[in-house]
Amino acid sequence: MSNQESQASRFARDMAANAEKMFKATQLIANTRDEDVNIGTTPKHLVMRRDKVELFHYEPMAEATARTPVLLAYGLIGRYTMADLQPDRSLVRSLLSKGLDLWLIDWGQPGRTERWLTIDDYVDDYIDAAVDRICQETGHDQVTLLGICEGGVFTICYAALHPEKVKNLVLTITPIDFHADTKGTAAHHGFLNIWTRSLDPEDIDKLVDTYGVIPGEFMSSVFSMMTPMRSLTKYNVDLIDVVDDEAKFMNFLRMEKWLADRPHHPGEAAKQWLKELYQQNRLVEGSFELSGRRVDLRSITAPVLNVFALDDHIIPPDCSRALGAKLGGKDYTEIPLPGGHVGLFVSSKSQGKLSQSIADWLIARDANPVSET
Amino acid sequence: MSEKEQSPAANPDAAFEWAKLWQTMAESSNRMLEAWSGSMAPFMLARLSEKPAGFGDGNELSAAIERMAQGPRLADVWDIDRKMALAFGAWIEMRQRLASYCAVAAAPWTEASKRFLETMSADGTRGAPHPDWREAFAKWSEISNEELIRNQRTDGFLQAQKELLQAGLQLRSRQDDVAEAASAMFGLPTRKDFDDVTRQLTELRREVRALARQVRDQKIEGAQ
Repeated sequence: MSNQESQASRFARDMAANAEKMFKATQLIANTRDEDVNIGTTPKHLVMRRDKVELFHYEPMAEATARTPVLLAYGLIGRYTMADLQPDRSLVRSLLSKGLDLWLIDWGQPGRTERWLTIDDYVDDYIDAAVDRICQETGHDQVTLLGICEGGVFTICYAALHPEKVKNLVLTITPIDFHADTKGTAAHHGFLNIWTRSLDPEDIDKLVDTYGVIPGEFMSSVFSMMTPMRSLTKYNVDLIDVVDDEAKFMNFLRMEKWLADRPHHPGEAAKQWLKELYQQNRLVEGSFELSGRRVDLRSITAPVLNVFALDDHIIPPDCSRALGAKLGGKDYTEIPLPGGHVGLFVSSKSQGKLSQSIADWLIARDANPVSET
Repeated sequence: MSEKEQSPAANPDAAFEWAKLWQTMAESSNRMLEAWSGSMAPFMLARLSEKPAGFGDGNELSAAIERMAQGPRLADVWDIDRKMALAFGAWIEMRQRLASYCAVAAAPWTEASKRFLETMSADGTRGAPHPDWREAFAKWSEISNEELIRNQRTDGFLQAQKELLQAGLQLRSRQDDVAEAASAMFGLPTRKDFDDVTRQLTELRREVRALARQVRDQKIEGAQ
């Protein structure tokens, strides 16, 4: 009886404490303005604008350690701010502090106006124009490309089609073999691959033809489904956990801001991404074409660093790992790191390892002669 | 009989008969038009009163509307009625697919509850101390997550989700048809017009940029 009483009183006490925390969370959210939640704050300046695409140059933070400028390219699903979420968890800031000359291509907010843009345009026009501009500004004739996720696919295609302009290629969480999820063992990995294959190609056409884009909200809902309980509990249980710690609460809001800022994916490029790559797996099979040219991974002769997350539920590790066997060059390095798709960039543990691995690898191949002396 | 004799104007009775026939045809035509545009509401209200659950099992209804709206197209009947009927049919179809999807998506919660109760009972039988809400919730969350993820990978779930997506897209597409017809009625450009313009703009930009690259490459070659 007394045990039952103590259980009941403990339950009542916990619930009262939780109710108080929820009330506090509500007050905190009500008192926080959107402009108080800042992401992507590392200083940079605009160098070039082409349509909605912008090329930025980050302000240097340390003496140059690597010679060649590095162009960072995120994908069209989500925004580059994931790599610069907050000062103490920023891949961008961390690479700058290690002496890299960092540039950024920001795709902006594509809408129905960008419906007809294809991956050909992103690779052969926007990236190519950015590379030319960086070369013009710095006096180099090559750049190092740093691609993230879909941006990794864009950069690898660029490196295959324009090998003469690429000094080094760094890929992070990049899918290469879109059907390699079937080899995986983790039950929660690769739902995106399974889901896309379950659709008819006509469904994808209809989705794009109806909306002109793949709506950002639609992609968000697919991503939420991949972590079902996490999605159901983040605004209650997770919030209770962070409400007493202002730093954690602000981290929570910054992540939410990044998640909410999900642009629409240009329509024709989405058809290529979902049908030709996710469904037909053309990149790894050597039949993917851009601007009338086949993307042959064996054409890539630049050194390649391939970093992936071992618990990546969106791009399963085997999808990235497949690259090694497909390249033409011999200088290929693979770095599997603990963490998930987003955690690799924003968790305090993985993020430090990621930037250190990239900087060490680049400096070993492309050290700035001045800093060496 | 001569041509003059056949003409209704030559015969007042025949002219009167002809006018009467014309009036009857016009009235029939009006009645047909009224029947067409007015037929939806009583039809649907009758079905709703027969089925208090509403549109839950509306496949039959959407099929009927589809059949009616897909009938022969009449030149002088306002086409927006047909478009609205099709959009309404698509909405019912979408509700039906949503209900099927919800049923499939809800299935794993039963299994999760069963597993959770078994786990808690087993702990109790072993004499383990009663967990606090946080421990119990963590266990519930872990089990539910496993069951939901397992369910997402089943053919049944993927099929239900695909059909819901298809139905949702069909509805949106038919709503767009109504919006396009309304825009056209008021002389406003439509989304199709916008898509045509952006397509031309994108293609034009590609051509200009290809030419600019050609000129640049020729200059470089010339300089070498």
